[in-house]
Amino acid sequence: MSVPGWPSHRPGQHLDVRLTAEDGYQAQRSYSIASAPEAPLLAITVERIDDGEVSPYLAGEVRVGDRFEVRGPIGGYFVWTAALGGPLFLIAGGSGIAPLMAMLRHRAAAGSHAPALLVYSSRTFADIIYREELNRLAAASDGPRVVHTLTRQQPAGWTGATRRIDRDMLAETGIAASARPRIFVCGPTSLVEQTTPSLLALGHAASLIKTERFGPTGGLR
Amino acid sequence: MSPDQSGMPAAPLDGNAAAGLLREVFVFDATSATVTCGGCGATAHVGSARLYGGSMGAVLRCAGCDTAVLRVVRTPMGLWLDMQGARSLKIGSEATA
Repeated sequence: MSVPGWPSHRPGQHLDVRLTAEDGYQAQRSYSIASAPEAPLLAITVERIDDGEVSPYLAGEVRVGDRFEVRGPIGGYFVWTAALGGPLFLIAGGSGIAPLMAMLRHRAAAGSHAPALLVYSSRTFADIIYREELNRLAAASDGPRVVHTLTRQQPAGWTGATRRIDRDMLAETGIAASARPRIFVCGPTSLVEQTTPSLLALGHAASLIKTERFGPTGGLR
Repeated sequence: MSPDQSGMPAAPLDGNAAAGLLREVFVFDATSATVTCGGCGATAHVGSARLYGGSMGAVLRCAGCDTAVLRVVRTPMGLWLDMQGARSLKIGSEATA
């Protein structure tokens, strides 16, 4: 999206999209910003919900040149900038990758050397959002370490993890609590609820763990 | 963040999801502010409270004791802010702990 007058955002912030129908009916939804502040265009990640009111439009019908209202950037809590330093420990489930992608893109664009790890849970190989870009980021010198787990179906020859993110996985692949990483968890409620106690049990400080659940809520705004 | 929604309250989200609504009430980013719960005295970022939302507004509850620390309700007469369950709200410069 090209948003004239957009004040720069910080990675992790979101924006509201408001659509107005010809009869004046309005629907508003909140989306995490997936692009880095350094990128020329603003990007969001929309997961299509087939019986949804807004996502089928955004994911299928929007054409280049269409216009709609956005409000933002919003939120200052679930935010990481290179100036905050690392290590950066990111945990994502499904489309929860979006705000964490903004952080990883920003980390690369800003030339940050902060150690970074992404543990990313997807249902299947095809469901991995930003797979190729994550590979590219990981392959760069000083790139983040990226650990995938595929919980529903795995392609032939898959050697990675096959279960939901749990305490053992975080202990084996994660950044040790002694390094005091800044932790951002974004995904469905179930992932956040399982992950947070595991992180605390591994010794991570609650003040360093920030979570963002998404799921069906009312039209908040 | 939040995919499509029915307008019905469901499982709670994190308080940071209410940032857009709170921006209509506060001139600062309220999710980065620190709230002290009037029920148990615990202190936490508003963004880490439990958020129960619906089309009418938002209820933020203390993650420790479930006290409603902040309620924002949208009515035809305007926005209604109820902070009966909060002892204080600290607006600091620190966006992170």
